[in-house]
Amino acid sequence: MDIRFSDCSVKFKTHVALHPFSLVLSERRIGIIGLNGSGKTTFAKLIDGLVKPTSGTVTVNGLDTVKDAKAVLSVAGFIFQNPAQQLIMPQVMEDIVFGLKAHGLGPAEAEARARAALARFGIEALGPRRVHELSGGELQLAAIASVSATGPDILIFDEPVNQLDLKNRRRVVEAIHALPEHAIVISHDLPLIEDFDRVLVFHEGRIVFDGLPAAAIKHYREIAGC
Amino acid sequence: MLTSLYVEGDTFLHRQRPGAKLALILVVGLALYVTESLTVQAVAAVIAAAIYFSLPIPFREAIYRLKPVLFTIAVLGLINIWLLSPHEALVSTLRLLAVVFLAAAVTATTRIADFMETITWALQPAEKLGIVRAADVGLALGLVLRFLPDIFAHYEGLKHAHAARGIAFRPLRALGPLIILTLKDADAIADAIDARGIRGR
Repeated sequence: MDIRFSDCSVKFKTHVALHPFSLVLSERRIGIIGLNGSGKTTFAKLIDGLVKPTSGTVTVNGLDTVKDAKAVLSVAGFIFQNPAQQLIMPQVMEDIVFGLKAHGLGPAEAEARARAALARFGIEALGPRRVHELSGGELQLAAIASVSATGPDILIFDEPVNQLDLKNRRRVVEAIHALPEHAIVISHDLPLIEDFDRVLVFHEGRIVFDGLPAAAIKHYREIAGC
Repeated sequence: MLTSLYVEGDTFLHRQRPGAKLALILVVGLALYVTESLTVQAVAAVIAAAIYFSLPIPFREAIYRLKPVLFTIAVLGLINIWLLSPHEALVSTLRLLAVVFLAAAVTATTRIADFMETITWALQPAEKLGIVRAADVGLALGLVLRFLPDIFAHYEGLKHAHAARGIAFRPLRALGPLIILTLKDADAIADAIDARGIRGR
């Protein structure tokens, strides 16, 4: 993985969401922490090209997120805060197949890949289930299976264990830790990122700390005053 | 709670091809619009209602699904009585009821994926002429059907929020928050569609 931000900034009308910064990311597990509204989600969406930089450039494995937007989407997958909104079809299996067909696979191959994706996370039983009937943890696992089925190198998670009970949290955390893909995880759940390779701390649209988890968490606690 | 517009089952309608069902709505709809016969409209409305209520949907849910549309038809009927003759008002109301019951029956017996594939296929000639992007229209229709229950859930949530605060619930007062919640959902869903690279391939 090679993600490069060069003199990158993001401004929404008059509000500066991210002040200019340059950065290179290559580690296998990267955590992003910070207070609400500090710019974490905007930063993550920059990687996937969902937010375009107001100035500067972002490249993912050499692909420009503006010029090569479609190619970037094949390299980096995004799992949103509310996975129910990203599962477009009413049934889990249908949704995974739909995503794969949209990436050009034929019906038989899409179905085989979808079954493999469900098996990979041990959630074969969720295939025929309706999205509306799933628990928070099941939804999150279904979304991970759906996004990873298309074969991205990088998975970006926006608060993946938000509002999960302990049992579902454990299932999702184990799934994230076992991923062979690179993972960039926004989280308010600090134990989740404790053993990550690198953690960025955001505050008021700036990266105010970049380093190992223990020191990053300490810095974040100082900002939060607790 | 309404979780999906599609209902599992093995009724006659379930077994029909989505294209045939959509063609049926089109033909019946057009046929009803070329006749002013009260008898024909009444028979059509009764048959369509019978088809809809014979589906494996509990009666209360069957009514709940159509409540906003039935309310709108009732309002339109009252306006028509005021503006037109009672005969004309009755004809247009029965016509709308027939089409709505038939469309609801087709929606309840057709998987969203099948709907989307059929619409996308049917619009291929229009795509070749450069008029529309067939897959986008299919996706748009699929999204409406998939997320309609979420709008119902928001509506229920607003009702509960009013009740929890001891405030009398008025549907009109909930309209603003409901629109805002729906638009916020739409933003998130659009982001997800972009992130999954589903459009524009």
